[in-house]
Amino acid sequence: MISFTRSFRLVALAAVSVCSMAAFTPAWAQDATFVLNSREAGAPTYNPIKGTKLNIANNLIFDRMVMQDADQSFHGQLAQSWESSADGMSWTFKLRRGVKFHDGEPFNAKVIEWWIPKFKGTENAFMVEAIDKIIIVDDYTVRFQMKNPDPSMLLNMATSFMGIPSPKAYDALGDKFGVTAAVGSGPFKLASFTVGQQTKLVRNDDYRWASNLSANQGPAKIKNLTLREIPEDSTAFLELKTGGVDMLLGVPTDFLPRIEAEKTLKVVTMPGTEVFYMPMNTSVAPLTDMKVREAIALAVNQKEILTSIFGGLGAEAHNFLVSSLQESKINPKFNISFNAERAKKLLDEAGWAMAAGGIRAKAGAPLTVKLWTQNGTQFKRVTEVVQAQLKAVGVNAEITVQDPASINAMYRKKTDHQLAVRAYDYTNADILDWFFSGTRLGYPNISMWNDPKAEELNAKAMKGSRTWEERVTNFKAYHEYVMSQFVFAPIYQPTQSFAYSQARLKLPDTIRGIKIATQSIMDIEVK
Amino acid sequence: MLNYCAKRLLLLVPVFLAVSVVIFMIIHLVPGDPIDNMVQIGSSPEQKAALIARYGLDQPLLLQYGVWLRNLFTGDLGDAIIMRRPVFELIAENLPHSLRLGGLAFIFSTVVGIATGALAAVFKDSWIDRSVMALILLGSTLPSFWLGLLMILLFAVQLEWFPVSGARTWTALVLPVLTIGLHGVALVSRVTRAAMLDVGRRDFVLMLHAKGLSHRRIQLQHVLRHALLPVVTILSLRIGWIVGGAVTIEFVFARPGLGSLLITSLAQRDYPVVQGCLLMLAMAVMLGTLLGDMVQAAMDPRVRDSLR
Repeated sequence: MISFTRSFRLVALAAVSVCSMAAFTPAWAQDATFVLNSREAGAPTYNPIKGTKLNIANNLIFDRMVMQDADQSFHGQLAQSWESSADGMSWTFKLRRGVKFHDGEPFNAKVIEWWIPKFKGTENAFMVEAIDKIIIVDDYTVRFQMKNPDPSMLLNMATSFMGIPSPKAYDALGDKFGVTAAVGSGPFKLASFTVGQQTKLVRNDDYRWASNLSANQGPAKIKNLTLREIPEDSTAFLELKTGGVDMLLGVPTDFLPRIEAEKTLKVVTMPGTEVFYMPMNTSVAPLTDMKVREAIALAVNQKEILTSIFGGLGAEAHNFLVSSLQESKINPKFNISFNAERAKKLLDEAGWAMAAGGIRAKAGAPLTVKLWTQNGTQFKRVTEVVQAQLKAVGVNAEITVQDPASINAMYRKKTDHQLAVRAYDYTNADILDWFFSGTRLGYPNISMWNDPKAEELNAKAMKGSRTWEERVTNFKAYHEYVMSQFVFAPIYQPTQSFAYSQARLKLPDTIRGIKIATQSIMDIEVK
Repeated sequence: MLNYCAKRLLLLVPVFLAVSVVIFMIIHLVPGDPIDNMVQIGSSPEQKAALIARYGLDQPLLLQYGVWLRNLFTGDLGDAIIMRRPVFELIAENLPHSLRLGGLAFIFSTVVGIATGALAAVFKDSWIDRSVMALILLGSTLPSFWLGLLMILLFAVQLEWFPVSGARTWTALVLPVLTIGLHGVALVSRVTRAAMLDVGRRDFVLMLHAKGLSHRRIQLQHVLRHALLPVVTILSLRIGWIVGGAVTIEFVFARPGLGSLLITSLAQRDYPVVQGCLLMLAMAVMLGTLLGDMVQAAMDPRVRDSLR
């Protein structure tokens, strides 16, 4: 009898166990580990108001008023709708109802009234400096009264720095906010954070207010999300290959063939947000001569670089801006494209005649220029190819590789550099102001370009636009003028690539947004 | 002995001051600054100037050094500019990881190094000796960065015995310990072998042979004991590397630690953190050397006499 009872218990226990296993997905099945893009590594804080370097986790913890899609269109997140007055002097936002921060505090117009002034005195203050007053129209409507029109308002509101924290937690934690704890209203809560190592997030089960860029309105399908920082690309690749992590949020072009060769892994490429270019120091001879600058710009063979270094992945760059921006669609006559014959002719006209050894010379002096770049395989390879292309038209470029942390200070010496192969990652036309404004000579204005007409066009684009359309027109005019002066040579636009384990994750068919971020992560399923 | 220790401790004071000057000046004199990592695209030159002033970076370098040194003597390493946390807190968070990794690598290299070195000496010119010599050659010439990746490929990817990277489980320690340890093994093994062969040529060993003791007994009980003095010297010098010897390995294996912290803060020119980390590494080397000297002095009276 005892034996029968024991056997029965065992059978029952086994049956219950089997049923349990069949009925429930194990907890670990909802866990995922992603490796941060190396550009986002080292973010020291999750304080969007004061932080100057943030990573993807910031946007998972904090919601923003609006989000931007790949086509540059804006979609409401905490703002349901918005409108700007015709003169650009006021912006009215209707806020989403029913939103709660992770600490249970409600989100409403009072939060916005508290939030915007918090930027005062911080490194990010310039993003809201055009806002004069915040008027609470009702509990869920706010109006920004502007000091001057700011057509970039939505663009600014969509940046990571515009994540809205819980006022209660923010004030209580003071300087510790974002370091010891971070409280927002996003789809994930911060569980733990070690600078340079990893960030652990847990799902916000109350989340129901994702933007229309996500099919899933909430909560997220991933329960526990770990974001690791692996500085060495080879190690990160091997972690993905062995199943130690489920996704690499950034994959260097060099690694794409290796990942594509793995059956269980999948690479997804998206339009890039980066541009490789070569600024020319217009204050140092022989680059003071526009004919020489034009010749050098025309000597760069974008197609050859795209195919020989990047295997055709990405796009040729022919002007300064990322091609998804409206301001990049300038009059084609201003675009710079490879034309070796014209380059040679221009150098002849400038008095640089071909001499022995294939290097041009003028008054016995060879046409030798300094060509700087920074550490990094891609930079070095592009620079070497550019050096060979310049040699083909008779320009001798001497390469110096600088430490990335030092190179900006080296540019500030203003006259030490001549040419430099570099890249920027940014999706706003105001990058033109950053790199070519006469107020920032040396660095970021590596071209050392200070031209009254350019300054006038820049001021008009930056401060004289009332609406988005006006801003686009003004920036196009400024962009065209920059191009006409040959102060840089456009080179290459990389794609963005990320890779994931198909055995572990199911991704949405379309990745929304400029990068893989909150809107797509909401829809990712763990198998 | 106490007198000797006190004198050695006193000698550390000027060394510490000199090291602090070098550390401070090196990081401030190389091009680049933390503000470059803080300014946003769109911020004005005035905002940048305000940031420079906020962190006192517009002050004369000597004044900045004086403030740092004064704070140092009160135990305050300052606040990280980029990381926005007290440097002491950041170091306290990372140091245990480095100590664990470095400590285990030290033990591994000591035990295996002495054992293989002794074996090579006992079986001089045999296949064992040649194998150990090959190991020494390999261990001292392979770059640790490359060796680390090889370890990952073999033991984590092919054999799947250990995780590729991270610090989540104790098994994640094995590959980094082996990578660092192998260099140490090569060094300790070479010194042990050389010292044992040297001692083996002394008169008292001949006498032991004449007394009829077995070769192995002589080697392990007498020769090895006398040969340990240079080994202890080498080991004491390596104590400092327990903390600082893993910089590249922490990078390859994506592990937390002082090395990772140093690399991250160096790339961002986060002056207070770089200074704090370098100071910790320098102090570890100084204290390791001090400890080694004391052990040597305890073992050899001639060393004690050298400071009289």
